[in-house]
Formats: sequence, structure tokens, C-alpha cells
Amino acid sequence: MWKRVLKMFIGLYLPLLALTLFLYYSQKVKLIETIMERQIRANTMKKVSFEEECHSFLRNTHYWANLKYPKNFDPLIAHSSFLRSYLELIEDITFYDQFRFIDLEGKEFFRAERIGNDSIIISPLQNKNYHPYVKAGLQLKKDQIYLSQISLNKENGEIEKPHKPVIRTVAPIFDNEQNQIGLVVINFKMKKILDQIKYKVEDKNVYLLDEDFRVISASTIEDDLPYESGNKKSTRDGILYTKAITQNQDSTFIENGHIWSQQSINLNGARFTFGSISNVPTEIVTPSNWIMALEIPPRLVTAELQPVFESLLTFNIISIISLLTLCYIFQKKKLEKELFYRKLESKNILLTRNKVKLEENNVIVNEMNNSLEIRNKQLSDFNYLISHNLRSPVTSMSVIVEMIQKEKKPEILHQLLPKLGQVAHSITQLTEDINDYVAILDNKEIKIIDIDILELIHEVKHEFTETLLDNSGFEVRLNLEVWDHISYSRFYFKSIVHNFISNAIKYKRENVDSYIEFESTIENNQQVLYVRDNGIGLDLDRHGENVFKLYKRFHRNISGKGMGLFLIKSQLEALNAIITIDSKVGIGTTFKIIFKK
Amino acid sequence: MTTKPNILLVDDDELYLYLMEKTIHQLSSELVVSTFTDGEQAVEYISNCTEKKIELPEVIFLDINMPFLDGWGFLNEFKKLKAKIQNSINIYMVSSSMRDSDIKRASHFEELTGYVVKPVDKVQLAEIFKKIYHENW
Repeated sequence: MWKRVLKMFIGLYLPLLALTLFLYYSQKVKLIETIMERQIRANTMKKVSFEEECHSFLRNTHYWANLKYPKNFDPLIAHSSFLRSYLELIEDITFYDQFRFIDLEGKEFFRAERIGNDSIIISPLQNKNYHPYVKAGLQLKKDQIYLSQISLNKENGEIEKPHKPVIRTVAPIFDNEQNQIGLVVINFKMKKILDQIKYKVEDKNVYLLDEDFRVISASTIEDDLPYESGNKKSTRDGILYTKAITQNQDSTFIENGHIWSQQSINLNGARFTFGSISNVPTEIVTPSNWIMALEIPPRLVTAELQPVFESLLTFNIISIISLLTLCYIFQKKKLEKELFYRKLESKNILLTRNKVKLEENNVIVNEMNNSLEIRNKQLSDFNYLISHNLRSPVTSMSVIVEMIQKEKKPEILHQLLPKLGQVAHSITQLTEDINDYVAILDNKEIKIIDIDILELIHEVKHEFTETLLDNSGFEVRLNLEVWDHISYSRFYFKSIVHNFISNAIKYKRENVDSYIEFESTIENNQQVLYVRDNGIGLDLDRHGENVFKLYKRFHRNISGKGMGLFLIKSQLEALNAIITIDSKVGIGTTFKIIFKK
Repeated sequence: MTTKPNILLVDDDELYLYLMEKTIHQLSSELVVSTFTDGEQAVEYISNCTEKKIELPEVIFLDINMPFLDGWGFLNEFKKLKAKIQNSINIYMVSSSMRDSDIKRASHFEELTGYVVKPVDKVQLAEIFKKIYHENW
């Protein structure tokens, strides 16, 4: 039962499962596409906002580069008042960290530093000519601004603590006669900007990498520029879990279930118009070539897929339950049906068997009915025989007795008395005959055995030896090739054969070679025996109905009791056989005996 | 020529014949009774009479059960001779049985005057004769 249920269930569920998996997969692909699109947008926003910050620094620097400085500019003494108002201005712009002027030999001639959060003070000068940004600055032409890499601030060769990530801008400055007097160098604090980058968008990890794919800042770590502080030597190991970011270009890819999006921020050579009077665009010179990378960890993808997964899972669970129930009910019904059919079939078989039995019984009942009818007829005949044949002597007797009582003449009495003896004699005779007949009717003790009729007829023949020998003109002919054995009462059969032969001898014709012939045959699947003779024959028109009756005689000159054929018929019918007669006067008689099955 | 018989008794029971004859004679000594022990003899007698134009008896008491030719057989033969018979003959079927089938069968023969059950006593006979001879006997 369960095996069948399971089989059916699998057959129904597998296509459903395949469909579900296909749906899930296509949904996943679609979702990842959407996620990627969203990621690119988010990445672009990060990039743009970072660029905006850089622009803001550049705009500030551009402003300083385009100021008209006095001839022989001396910011510390002669032109300190000129600069004061500007310094007051930058005091409130908190991302200014250092503000310096450097002469064309790379030496500082003005240095202001932020102390704490909201005061800028002028501090002692330092020689910075060995710094790459000073060297690069001295190469700058008018309308060029240098943007440095992001690095941790160092004071006197040591990384300042707490770490202070900075970016430097450098631009040439000119006096009012357009002679270059040096460079303006501004250190901008990057902490806030990097913190902003770190700020996660929709739980995605954000990384800012430099041109060597080193992590500048990442949402996964607190410290910026870890490679500078020596916390992490490696560029990406332990922070950046991808090996696919190897080129500075825009791309989106999936690696180990992580979805990555990288965008390049390259400002080198870019030109901007910062709304200066001259409206000449400023060119940016920078060694930096940043990469903004966004990473979506698999759990986010999974989380995004969760509703799809859950709904499909629910669908599948419901499907499994309902399919199982369906299969169970179906198979149960099917089993019940099969059982029902099996029962029906066995009932049918039983019914057929019963029918056959019933038919057999019917045949038996029919046979019984037939034999009962025959028996009934016999009894009725017997009844008639008794009532008729016994009644007449009895009534005669009563009449005689009555007469004797009334008669007074002795000579008549003498006549009457012997008549009583006559009555007694005829009653005795009748009783004897009836006894023979009753013995036939009462066939309880008849033994049915297999009879060899050939042998039996020979045996009977011997009883007539005298007659048969004396009259060489009488012959018993046998034609028993078809059958010569029959199940019957031997006593009856012998009596029947005896009566036939006796009759045939008694009623033979004179002056012909007389014979009696026994011929066996099969008709309608029944054993049939023909008994023929060429005797004097019988007028059936006259005697037909009386042929087999008791005390019927048809030939005045031949002695006989009129019992032979009556006994033959009785003995045959007692065992369910039928006898018919065909006869022609002067030719012979044929009896046909049918032994019913 | 012998005296013409008035009554013909046909029965194989000789005792019955003796008793009937006796009873008839008790009723009337004038009636002549002739007897036959089977139908065949009776038929022969009747056909002989018709051939020789001898007057036939007025009454025949006919038994059913007889050898050689029974009552029914006699009636069938009698039918054939009927055309040649001039005077009317009253035939009574006499039987010791009251079997319905016999009574029914008897009713089909218009030659039959009646059906009498044995034993036939004096009173019955007197009534029959009264009917036939109109008290003339």
C-alpha cells in the first residue's frame, strides 16, 4: 500500500519539484541582476559623493591659488594683516588641518595648524622640500592643482597619534604681477569623509582602495590606512576577501556567492571650471587612482531570496502534504475497488458454481419428477387393477351370500354354494398375480449391477431348450455389437427376456422360420434395445391401448394369463426405461426399449 | 330358429353372468338372456345377426374390462355395424370401478344409454327394464 502511494507520489511530485527548482533558480538570477543594478547605483553614489568631497578640496585650493598676493609676499610680518581675515575664515572650516606656503625652493614660509577643533595657530616653519608632494607641486603650471594620495599624517617622520588620515592639495601662487612666488599646500582631514565612506549602504561592505589595491578605508575595519600604520602588511588579506579586483576598471562580478561592484575614481588630468574670473579650467594632477568597491555578502543575497525561498518551500510542503493525501486516498480507494472487484469475482464464481449445481439439481429433480410420474401412473394403474379386479369377485360374493340367505330351496342352494368356491379361487389367483406386480412396484431391494446381456440371453435360452430344440424352426438372433453390457437389475432383465422369448414362441407364425432378434444400438445418447419377431402380430388399431395391460389377451386360441407384457412394462418402468410397440398382423412385432440415462 | 334373446350380457366374469341371469329371471321369466365372455364374441354375434337379418336384443350390458376385445373396443366395432341395425339397442356400460376417466369416456359414446356400477341389484334392473319396456313386460 505505502509502496504504491510513494510511487504515485514521486511520479506526481518530481515534475513539481523540478518546476520549483527552475522557478527558484530563475528568481535567483533575476534577483541577483536587480541586486547588481542596485549595487552599481549605490557604488556610483558613494563614488560621486567621494568625488564631491575631493572637488570641495580642489575648489578651496583653487581659491587660494587665484588670490592676488602682494609683491614680495611676507605673510608672517609685512602682510600678516592681509592674511588674518583669511585665516579667520578657515578657522571655521574644520576640514582644514594645515595651511602652508612654501617657496620655490621647497621651504615653508608660512605654516598654520589646527589645534583642537576650532582654532588655527601659526606654528614654526619646517623644511619640506624632500616631500614628494612638494616636488610634484614645484612641477605644476598655472591652472594646475595637485591632489595627493591619502595618507596618515606624520610629524617629524613619525605617524601622528591618534591616526589622522589626510589628503594634501598643492597649487602654485602668484603675485599681482603674475610672478610665481611659491606654492600653497593644504592638508585636509579625511577622517570624516572616510567615516562617511565606511557608512554602510543596506548592509553592504564598502571598500576604498588605492591604485595598488591597498585598502584605504573599509566598513569592516575601524582604522584607516592599515598598511601605513603597520597593523596589516598585506594589501587585502584579512580585509578584502577577493582576488578578482586586479584591474582599475568598472566591473561587477560574483565570487563565492559574494557580489562585487568596483568603480574607478581617477581624477588625474580632469579639468574643472571653479567659477574663476578668468574662466580658465583647472587641471588636476594626481598620482591617486582610487577604487570604490562594494561587496554584498551571500547572507544578504540569501536574505533577499528568503521570501521567494520561503514561499516556494511553503508551496512545496503544501504540495507534498496534499499530494500525499491525494495519493493515499486514491490508492486506498483503488485498493478498496480492487478488493471489491476481487470479492465480486469470487462471488461470481460462486454464483456460477451454484448455478451449475442448481442446473444439475434441476436435472436430478426433473429425472425424479419423471420417475415419480411413472410411479404415480403405476400406482394409479395398481389402484385401478385392485379396485376393478378385486371388486368384481367381492361384489359377486356378496350377491351370492345375499341369495343364499334368501333361498330356501335346497337344490338351488346346492347350485350357489360351489360358486363361492369359484369366487375364492379367483380371489386367490388375483392375489398371487398382484403379489408379483407389487414386488415390481416395490423396487427397494432391486440390485443394479452390470449385466452381460449376451450371457444372460444365452442363459434364458437354456430354459427353453426343449421348445427351441423341438422346433428347429425357431431361432434367437443376436445383434449386440453396439453394446452388450448394461446397468440393470439382473432379475428383472432376465424376466423381461424370458417373457419376450416366451411370447415370441407362443405367437409364432406357422410355416415360416420363426425368430426373435435382439438388437442393441445408441439413439440420442441413450441405450436402446430392439426386440423383433416375425410372429403373428397384433392389430394395434383394435388393441393398441390395451397391449401392456393386465389380463389382456388378444388371441383366443392361444393360452395365456395376459400378464407377460404387463410385467415387462412394469419391470422396465420400475427402472426408468420406456417400451413402445410396433406391430403388423401376419408380419411381426417390434418392441423398442429405451434405457433412460 | 331359437327364441330371440331380449338381453345380451357381455362380461368375462362367469360368476357375474350367472348371478345377473339369475337376477333377471327373478324379475321376469319371460326375458331371454344371452351371454358372451368377451367383446369379440359379442361383435361376431351382432354382425352375424345383421347379416342374417335376425332381430337384435333390446338391451346389452357391456363390461369394460375383457380379454380379446374390451368394452371400448366393442363400442368401436358396434359403431361400424350401427347403420345396418334396424331396431334400437340400449347399451349399458357396466363396470366395477367408478373411475372418472371411464365415466367421462363413456359419455362420448352416443350409443350408450347408461353407465351402471357393479353390483347391479334387482331394483336397478327393474328401473332399467321399466324404462325400456314401458311396463309392458
